[in-house]
Amino acid sequence: MASKFWYLTGLSLKKKMKTKWFLLANVILLVAIVGLINIDSIIGFFGGDFNDTNEVVILDYTDQVVSVFEQNLKRSNELFGTDYQTKIEVFEKSEEDLETELRESSKIGLVFRQDPESYLTVTIISDKKIDSLYYQTLVQALNTTKTQIAMRLTNIDLEELNKINSSVAIERIILDEKAKNEQESTAMIMGTVFPTVILPFFMLVIFLVQMIGSEINEEKTTRSMEIIISNVSPKVHFFSKVFASNVFVILQGLLLMSYGGIGLFLRTNFSTVPNSSFTDRVHETWSMLTTTSFMEKLYYVIPLTLLLMLLSFIAYSLVAGILASMTVNMEDFQQIQTPIMLVSMISYYLAIMAGMFEGSIFIRILSYLPFISCLLAPALLVVGQIGIIDVIISVILLIGFIFVAIKYGLKIYKIGILNYSTDKMWSKLFQAARTKKI
Amino acid sequence: MLKVEKISKSYGNNLAVNDLSFVVERGEIFGLLGANGAGKTTTFRMIMGLLDPDSGYITLDGKPIDYGVTDNIGFVTEERSLLTKMTVKEQVIYYGILKGMVEEEILEKLDWWLKKFQIQDYKNRKIKELSKGNQQKIQFISAVIHEPKLLILDEPFTGLDPINVKLFQDAIYELQKQGCSIIFSSHQMEHIEMFCEKLIILVKGKVVLAGYLKDIKKEYRKKNIKLVGDIDLVELKKIPGVLAVNALANEYEIKIREEEVAYEVFKKISKYKVSKFVIEEPSLSEIFIAKVGEKYGE
Repeated sequence: MASKFWYLTGLSLKKKMKTKWFLLANVILLVAIVGLINIDSIIGFFGGDFNDTNEVVILDYTDQVVSVFEQNLKRSNELFGTDYQTKIEVFEKSEEDLETELRESSKIGLVFRQDPESYLTVTIISDKKIDSLYYQTLVQALNTTKTQIAMRLTNIDLEELNKINSSVAIERIILDEKAKNEQESTAMIMGTVFPTVILPFFMLVIFLVQMIGSEINEEKTTRSMEIIISNVSPKVHFFSKVFASNVFVILQGLLLMSYGGIGLFLRTNFSTVPNSSFTDRVHETWSMLTTTSFMEKLYYVIPLTLLLMLLSFIAYSLVAGILASMTVNMEDFQQIQTPIMLVSMISYYLAIMAGMFEGSIFIRILSYLPFISCLLAPALLVVGQIGIIDVIISVILLIGFIFVAIKYGLKIYKIGILNYSTDKMWSKLFQAARTKKI
Repeated sequence: MLKVEKISKSYGNNLAVNDLSFVVERGEIFGLLGANGAGKTTTFRMIMGLLDPDSGYITLDGKPIDYGVTDNIGFVTEERSLLTKMTVKEQVIYYGILKGMVEEEILEKLDWWLKKFQIQDYKNRKIKELSKGNQQKIQFISAVIHEPKLLILDEPFTGLDPINVKLFQDAIYELQKQGCSIIFSSHQMEHIEMFCEKLIILVKGKVVLAGYLKDIKKEYRKKNIKLVGDIDLVELKKIPGVLAVNALANEYEIKIREEEVAYEVFKKISKYKVSKFVIEEPSLSEIFIAKVGEKYGE
């Protein structure tokens, strides 16, 4: 019987993976993931304007703005998190000449004038509309420039001016020792890193549920099940489906990770975009991870998350298998599995918003529940709202759920797979679950 | 030898099979007949180990049904139990391995069977691309590839033309010669008459008729007379014991209550010019309708 188990498992995997559809789906995923990671290079390749240098022509009647404005434009870029490249050119002729120069050009003209009441006025001239974010960056730089000019005109020296302009010095003191390690930046990391990591989990859950559901339904609708079950026990059949679907999603998960790796490799080595914001963001996030206590947490957060995800995959496949045995066609299965998928969606959103539920007992209890725990518990653990003990409770409950699903699910499965009628389905299944014999 | 002894099976309050017993000897073709819902499928499922009887037992060569025993049973189901996305080769390998065979052995036998059924070219074709008749051939091959001791054929000729029925017929007789016990179920009575020496008829899970076909026909008192000639039908209908007179395409069929009535009929028609007068056993179909109809009326 063991050899039949391995044969059925291998056959399920072969049926799923040795098809042109699997190949096609993975080619699309590879292209999509690599493309997404390198989207700016792709846009640039096809003539997009992601990082083209903006040319700003300055006509300065005050004779003191250019260098200040240039510095402020850089700061403004940092403030908005943009990486606009700007080439500044000083214009020596008249304003009319400037307008002529700018006509049918992509250059932006700035005319600075001193004003007795508001210190500084600026005229922005362009032939076409200016990109809105770049316009905001310019305006921010102009406002700061005006402040600095005003200070200079009111005899505040440069040293004093720098002091005024420098960021406020903040010393952070947290009296609660326990809370000291839970830095505010963690919440920000939760908002960026965690959703990226857990998003593929959903995709894999969908693959898993669909695989097990479609296989069992195919065997049921063609009545092949009668031949199969007359040669292998329902238990062997069920576990072969569960095992095969879990192996499949793990392999698919590894493939997704490798596609991400390929995308990053291409970006790092062949990107046509200079000083890319993506690379900066990765560095920024990485430095944030290393300078906070987040890295220390990863040593137990990652194994616990992986354990919860693995157990959740098993739980999902068990439930999907049981549900598929109860249904008589794929449409019925799609309907019956919807609530389970909905619970997972809720879990996903709760995990993303984990930082918002500080001290909520309700959310803590939710994090113990199977199907929700796999995402919510690690998220709450990262933001410090629950401890390792809570996650261990989630793991124990998930194992308990798996045990119950196997114990009663197998009885239902045995009856369900040979049942082709939806009449009195629930009473048949409850009756099956109550029988002592598997 | 398959031995089914006093088996019963209920679904809730519905008694699907009621105290059923029969024996299929080695190399015997046994007919299991019944109208829809008579309990045939439940009986097959119990023989295949898919369902446990509530009472009674089933043995094959003295061994109770388990996964070791079902490896020696082949089953051609009424609804083609084929995974249509698979190729013919993949499908037969799949079922063969589930029966405990190894791939090389399966492939060797598959080639032989494909040649026998004249479908060698379809080995690597997807099942869904085949005609109904060819799908039925693949189902048959899948069921016999492991040379079973017992073969269950549930409506095996569905979708087959007369030429293919002949091919199947030859294959079934060959298996019989090799000692395979065969249970044959069909609604086409001429097929049962063609193959089965012994049969049972089930009505609502209970046996209403059992025995050898020739004995059943013999014991069934009603007979038919087939005659050809210029006769007065009204006169014939008046004879006591004549149940019906039917005009067929080229002859008349006179249904009589018992064989003795035939003498009265013969005496009556002797004055006419008659070129054919034959007393025939009733068809199995007639017996089936009479027996099943009687019980359904109860």
